[in-house]
Amino acid sequence: MRKTLFLSLAGLALSSLSHAGSFQINLQGIRQTAMGGTGVAMPWDISTVFFNPAGLSRLNGMEAYGSVFLVSPNIRYVPANGGTTYYEPEKQSSTPFAVYVGGTLKKMPKLGIGLGVYTPFGSSINWGNDWVGSLITQSISLKSIFIQPTISYAITDRISIGAGFVYGTGSVNIQRALPLQFPDGRSGQLTLDGNAHGFGFNAGVQVRATDKLDLGISFRSGVNMKVDDGTATFNAPAGVSPLFPTGNTFKTNLQLPNITTVGASYRFTPDFTLQADVVFAGWKAYDSLKFDFAKNTSAVADNSSPRMYKNTVAFRLGGHYKINSKFAVMAGGAWDPTPSDDQYVSPDAVDADRLSLSAGLTYEPVRNLNIMAVVNYTTTAGREVSYAPENFSGKYQIKSVSPGIGVSYKF
Amino acid sequence: MKSNSIKILAVASLFAACKPTIEGETPAKGSADFSSYTAIGNSLTAGYSDGSLYRSGQINSFPNMLAGQFKLVGGGDFKQPLLPGESGWPGPKRVLAPVTGCDGVTSLGPIVYPGTRDTAGSLTNISSQGPFNNLGVPGIRAIDYLSPGYANIAFILGGAGYAYRFYENPITDKPIDVAAKSKHTFFTMWLGNNDVLGYATKGGEGTVGGINTSDISPLSAFQSSYKAVLDTMTNKGQKGVLINIPDVTALPYFNVIPAKGLMLTRQGQADSLNAAYAPLGIKFTVGANPFIIQDGSAPGGLRQIKDGEYILLTTPQDSLKCGGWGSQKPIPRQFVLDAQEVANVRNATQSFNDYIRQLATEKDLALFDVNAYFKTVQSGVRYNGLTLTPVFVTGGVFSLDGVHLTPRGYALIANQIILAINAKYGSTIPQVDISKYNGVLLP
Repeated sequence: MRKTLFLSLAGLALSSLSHAGSFQINLQGIRQTAMGGTGVAMPWDISTVFFNPAGLSRLNGMEAYGSVFLVSPNIRYVPANGGTTYYEPEKQSSTPFAVYVGGTLKKMPKLGIGLGVYTPFGSSINWGNDWVGSLITQSISLKSIFIQPTISYAITDRISIGAGFVYGTGSVNIQRALPLQFPDGRSGQLTLDGNAHGFGFNAGVQVRATDKLDLGISFRSGVNMKVDDGTATFNAPAGVSPLFPTGNTFKTNLQLPNITTVGASYRFTPDFTLQADVVFAGWKAYDSLKFDFAKNTSAVADNSSPRMYKNTVAFRLGGHYKINSKFAVMAGGAWDPTPSDDQYVSPDAVDADRLSLSAGLTYEPVRNLNIMAVVNYTTTAGREVSYAPENFSGKYQIKSVSPGIGVSYKF
Repeated sequence: MKSNSIKILAVASLFAACKPTIEGETPAKGSADFSSYTAIGNSLTAGYSDGSLYRSGQINSFPNMLAGQFKLVGGGDFKQPLLPGESGWPGPKRVLAPVTGCDGVTSLGPIVYPGTRDTAGSLTNISSQGPFNNLGVPGIRAIDYLSPGYANIAFILGGAGYAYRFYENPITDKPIDVAAKSKHTFFTMWLGNNDVLGYATKGGEGTVGGINTSDISPLSAFQSSYKAVLDTMTNKGQKGVLINIPDVTALPYFNVIPAKGLMLTRQGQADSLNAAYAPLGIKFTVGANPFIIQDGSAPGGLRQIKDGEYILLTTPQDSLKCGGWGSQKPIPRQFVLDAQEVANVRNATQSFNDYIRQLATEKDLALFDVNAYFKTVQSGVRYNGLTLTPVFVTGGVFSLDGVHLTPRGYALIANQIILAINAKYGSTIPQVDISKYNGVLLP
């Protein structure tokens, strides 16, 4: 038991499939997650490095921050015309995390600097080797870690701006059955494994419109995560081995979308704040997933599977109530429409419109030290879809409860 | 204590809330009764594959797959006259292996199963273990159903004791008598293929309207026999599915060797053939040329094969590659289905199918038009990530004999039959998972 937990934490696997459209993960801050994922209009803490770099120069001093979530989505697939048969992928847990450090300098209080290391995208699903869709996917794991040095400047008391540079590093591991059978009936298997890299930036503006109303906008650029030299291993029967040269490699890229968020935050009383964000995600860039093999044969052709993603607009709402000087509570919800088309939902990227509800608590046992906790519940209705290129139809549902904890210290 | 149990309850409900709840449709039987299912037919019903009948082929017969699905809607046990062994009976099955041709080129091709023959006990009469639900007999024609002692005759003539081993009285029984003993509530009937197929696989050397196995059965005999069997199967108003006869020229057996399969790689080859065939005015070029075939009515008794004519899979490959067949010498007529023979096959198939359709309508039974379905499969069907085509070996549908199906091909058929049943009887029988069944196994 302990070993399992250790492995899942040590793995730093970044599974999503439960948070915000497709393989985007929206778990970069405890307070913000607790408030439905809102947080663009004002800085709640140093995690504003992610939510809006403009907030950095509005912080009061330096802060270090760490948070981690336990994500283990439950997915079910009910094949079309399959009666009461259903399939569920192997239960997998992952631990998306975020670490931030930075704030304003005493000597230059209008300038904020910071560094964020976080996991904005990821996906991991393992259907097993012998399930009904094994020729489309057996397992897939996409991981990413973004490193973002950030700078921010308060132009006036009311207006601040900020920007960060993003270096993304990640990995991809895909397994699927080959439609070639060994003498014992076992299917062949293709394993793709590689490391990915990409660059991007983010930028934002925050405006303190009145003493009660904050407004913010942030832009995170798309990041093209490229795999240049992944290994492609074909496990095929010996009789056809000349068709599958060893030492094959592949190239691919995963175009992560640009994200624009606009939001407002309103303090009804000094202790009670409500905020709302609208999030535009440029998923349209993800139109297909392509694999370009270095060595092509009659059986190893370059491969392109259409995805046909659409841009999405998500709505988020959250509230924050300060009970006393030590405790505060938060709650919120979000509606995240899926970027995927009904005819192009592949079992390697199961997705549906998501309703997400969350609640959180912060506790400040001693001054400047905050302990934060949150739980998020995400659900989808059953979605009847197909992956038309493979004639693979059925109904999917995703549900998950994801707890997260964090700690921050001001200095 | 109480607050603890409340906490446990709260945690439990939290986890319950994160379990998916969607479910598939509960199967329903509609207006049919699947409690006892009997399958009438030939090799395709018996589970024949790779040129022979063997135990795992029988287990993967489409009727056995259907019976498995029928169990979800009240179906009972389905008993098949299973053979003891896997090597194939009476002749060995084919397996895929590297084969080096006379030209020194090695490629994968079907060979006779090289393993130990495990046929002991195959001819033992097992009728006492019956009654059997799968009455499929490889080789049987519709017109055989009224032949007394069919099982014995087939055994003596062809050495195949398929019926002999499970008919109660092989010396006297007509196949229709065996059908009549069935206490079924539902049936499938895929009959008539061999009333055409034998003629085609023998290169159309038999007669149209004859009663030998290399003939096309007389239409009247086909009709009376088919109707008699169907009357028997529906004598208590039982429901079922009729499956018609696919156009056999769509089978790999007639398409593996292309008509334009004479490949000339050098101008010298074309020149010498042109010189030899100059009196007949036949010309050759570098590249693909039509084969030369035997034709008694053509000048010189030979001619180039035309589009829409077929060369049989059984044509000796080494004779084609190194023996000058199809170029210096014509391919003998028993290996060719010429235009007239193709027309004979298609006309007979059409007449038989018209009659099957007429009876399905008269008796208000489901009909699976496998003839039309195979035409759609020609261009390939995509199913759960699998591409299934009629291409020999790589297509995954047809087994190594080029006529019968692989388990995967039979699963494809089973699903189409289920669709026909569901449409006719308002049932919601689930489909089988095709990818669970084997296609062609590679060495």
